[in-house]
Amino acid sequence: MLGKLTWSAIPFDQPIPLVAAALVGVVLLGVIAWVAVAGWLPYLWREWITSVDHKRIGVMYVILGLVMLIRGFSDAILMRSHQALAYNAPGYLPPEHYDQIFSAHGTIMIFFGAMPFMIGLMNFVVPLQLGVRDVAFPTLNSVSFWLTATGALLVNVSLVVGEFARTGWWPSPPLSEVTYSPGVGVDYYLWAIQISGIGTLMSGINLVTTILKMRAPGMSYLRMPMFCWTALASNMLIIAAFPILTATLAMLTLDRYLGFHFFTDEAGGNSMLFMNLFWAWGHPEVYILALPAYGVFSEVISTFSGKPLFAYRSMVWATLAICLLSFMVWLHHFFTMGPGGDVNGVFGITSMIIAVPTGVKIFDWMFTMYGGRVRFTTPMLWSVAFLVTFVVGGATGVLLAIPPADFVLHNSLFLVAHFHNVMVSAVVFAAFAGYTYWFPKAFGFTLDEWWGKAAFWFSLVGYVWVFTPLYVVGLLGMTRRLQHFSVAEWYPWIVAASLGVIVMVFGVVCQVVQLVVSIRRREQLRDVTGDPWDGRSLEWATASPPPSFNFAVMPRVEGEEAYWAIKQRAREQARLREEPDYEPVEMPLNSPTGFVCAFFATLVGFAMIWHIWWLAALGLAGAFATFVVFAWRDRVEYEIPADAVARINRRNRASRLEALQQARRKEAA
Amino acid sequence: MSHTDTDDRAHADVAPGDEYPHEEFGAGLRSYLIGLALATLLTAASFWVAQTKVMWAPAIPVALLTFAIAQMGVHLVFFLHLTSGPDNTNNIMALAFGVLIVFLLFGGSVWIMHHMNYNMMAPVEGGVRMPLQKGVPLQPEPQKGVPMQHGGGGHH
Repeated sequence: MLGKLTWSAIPFDQPIPLVAAALVGVVLLGVIAWVAVAGWLPYLWREWITSVDHKRIGVMYVILGLVMLIRGFSDAILMRSHQALAYNAPGYLPPEHYDQIFSAHGTIMIFFGAMPFMIGLMNFVVPLQLGVRDVAFPTLNSVSFWLTATGALLVNVSLVVGEFARTGWWPSPPLSEVTYSPGVGVDYYLWAIQISGIGTLMSGINLVTTILKMRAPGMSYLRMPMFCWTALASNMLIIAAFPILTATLAMLTLDRYLGFHFFTDEAGGNSMLFMNLFWAWGHPEVYILALPAYGVFSEVISTFSGKPLFAYRSMVWATLAICLLSFMVWLHHFFTMGPGGDVNGVFGITSMIIAVPTGVKIFDWMFTMYGGRVRFTTPMLWSVAFLVTFVVGGATGVLLAIPPADFVLHNSLFLVAHFHNVMVSAVVFAAFAGYTYWFPKAFGFTLDEWWGKAAFWFSLVGYVWVFTPLYVVGLLGMTRRLQHFSVAEWYPWIVAASLGVIVMVFGVVCQVVQLVVSIRRREQLRDVTGDPWDGRSLEWATASPPPSFNFAVMPRVEGEEAYWAIKQRAREQARLREEPDYEPVEMPLNSPTGFVCAFFATLVGFAMIWHIWWLAALGLAGAFATFVVFAWRDRVEYEIPADAVARINRRNRASRLEALQQARRKEAA
Repeated sequence: MSHTDTDDRAHADVAPGDEYPHEEFGAGLRSYLIGLALATLLTAASFWVAQTKVMWAPAIPVALLTFAIAQMGVHLVFFLHLTSGPDNTNNIMALAFGVLIVFLLFGGSVWIMHHMNYNMMAPVEGGVRMPLQKGVPLQPEPQKGVPMQHGGGGHH
C-alpha cells in the first residue's frame, strides 16, 4: 500500500535534522495559523497563489530563492563548523549525515536558491523593461513557478522522511546506482530536479518568446536594456541545456527503477557518459545564472553612475559570445577523467577564451563608472564589490583551465573556493543588488539603506574571510568533502574559514532586519513617483508598484534608454507627455492551474520516490485532468474599463508632475 | 491579449503554426500536399535503397543519410513553413542555434567518449597503454597481422 514507506523512514535516532525540521515545521504552521486567523487566506489565494501576473510570480520566485538561500546557508554553517571540530576528531556529524549535507547544500543553492532568484528577477523586470503587459504565456508562468516550488518542497521533505542523496550535488554513477545507493536519497534528488527542471524549461520558453515577440512598438533588439539581452541569452541557454539534464537524469532513473545499464559500468554501461552529459548541461548552467547577474550589474552601474552603459553594442556581442562559448567548455569539469592531452588541450583553450568576453564586460562596467557621478547606494556597493572579487575568481578560473594545473588542483578546496568565488560574487551579489534595486518597484517603498549597507559589508568581509583560507588550504592539498582530517597545517586555515562564516551570519541577520525595518518605516521610504533612483529604462516609467496592466498605454520607443529620453524631454519642457487616449485593457484571468498541477506533481514525485505506484498514477491522472480543465476554459481574459485605467494613470501622472515642479523650484532657488 | 491588435509588428514575425493572414486556403493546402508527396517519396526511396542491389553497397548508408536530411528539409519547409523571407529571421536563427548546439553536443560527446573509452575502459594486454593523442604511439608494439581496433596511427 505505501511502497517502501514505513515508520523507519523517520530518522528518530538523528536529533539534528529532526529538531531542525520540527523548528521549521512549528514556524511554518505558526505562519499558516496566523494567516488563517487573520483571514488573509482568501486574499493570498486570489491575489498570489492563483495569480498569473508576472510581477507577483516574480516576487514569489524571489521569496522562494531567499528562503532557500538561507536554507542552503544553514548547511554551509553545519559543514564549516563540523570541519573545524574534525581535526583528529570525529566532529559532530556522522559521515552518512555529513554526506547528505554537502549534497543538499549544492543542490539547494544551485537549483532552489540561485535559479529561482534569477528567474524571479527576470520574470519581474523583463516585461516592464520591454514595455509590455505580461509574459507571453501567463498561466504557464504560474505552472513553472509552482513546479519549482514542488522540487524545493521534495528536497526539504527528505530531511524528515527518509534521507537525501549522499553522492554530492551531481549524483555520479556508479555511486548513485542502486547497487551503491539503495536508499531513497538519490531518488529524492532525481524527482525534485526533474519536476523543477520542467518548470525551468517552460519558464525559459516563456521568457524567450516574450523577448522575441512582445516588445513595445519601436523597441528594436538594439534598443533593449542590457538586462533583457542577458535574460534572452540566459533563457536560450535554458532551452538548449535543460533538456540534456532531463534526459541524463531520466537515464539514471531508468537505471535505478527498471534495471537499465546506461551508467552502470557493466552490461555495456559507462559511468563516464554521465559525467559528460551532466556537465554538458552543467557548464551552460553556470552562465544561465551568471548572465542575468551581468544584466543586473549593467542596469545598476549605469543608473547609479548617471550615464548610459558604456559600449552597449560590445556588451551585446560579449553576451552572445558567452552564450555560445558556454557550450564549448564542459570538459574542463573532468580533465582528470582520462580524455587525453588532445581533448584536454582543446577544451582548456576554449575555457580560457570564454574569459575574453567576460573581460570585455568588466571593462565596459568600469568605463561606465568612469567620469560619471557615482552614487554609492546599496545596489551599487554590491556591484563594485562584484567587479573586484569576480576578477579574482575569474583569474583562478583561467588558472584551473590549464589542464596540468587542474590535475594538481582538481577536487581540492582550491576548486571549491574558485567556484564559490565566481558564483557568490556574480550570482549572490547580483541577487542582492537586484533585490535592493527593484524592491521599490515591486512594493512601492525603498529598502532601508543603513541596514542594507551593514548587510553588504558583513557579507563581503565574511565571504572573503571564508574563501581566502579555502584557496590556501586547497593549495596545501586538502581535498573537498572531507568528513575529518589529520593534517596539522590545514587546521588553522579551516578554523579561520569557520570564523568567516560567523561574520556572514551577521550579514544574513542584517538582511532580514533590513526587510523588517523597511516595512515598519515604509511611509518614510515611500516611492511616490515610481522612479526612486533616477532610472533609465521603462520599468521606471510606471507607478511603484505598477498597476496589474503595467502601462496605461503601450510606450513608444524612439531610441536606446527609452525612459531617459522621455524624462529629459519632460525636464526640458517642464511638463509631462500629452495625456494619451485611454482604452480598456484586457488582462488574463487568474488561474489555480499552476498550484493544482504542482500539488499533483508533488504526489507523483513523492510516490515515485517511495514506490507507491497507485499514488503516482493518481497524481499523473490528476495533473492531466487539470490540464484538460484548463484547456477547455470558456473565459480567458477580463477587461479593465478605460476610465479605471485613466484614474490609475492620472494618480501617477499627478505625483510625477509634482516632483517635476519641485525639482524646477529647487533649481530656480 | 489586446496589444497584438495594435502592435505594429503583429504580422512582421510569424511563428511556426501561426495562420498566415494573407494566404489563400487553397495555396496553404497545396503546400501541405506537395510536402506530403515529397515526404512519402523520400520515405519510399529509403526503403527501396535499403534493399536494392542496384547500388554499390557502401554507398547505401550515405544515400539513407541524404534522404533523411532531405526529409528534415521537407518537413521544415512545407509543414513548419520555414522560409528565407524577412518575416522568418527568428525561426531561421532558432533553427541555426539548435543545429549548432546539437552539433557541438553530439560531435563533442562522441569525440570525448571515444577518447575516454579508449584510454580508460578498453582492456590492456601486455603492458601500459599510452593515451590516445597525436605524436604518441597508440600501443607499445602493434601486433603484426592483427588490424588495430582503434584509430590506427594517431590521426585523431
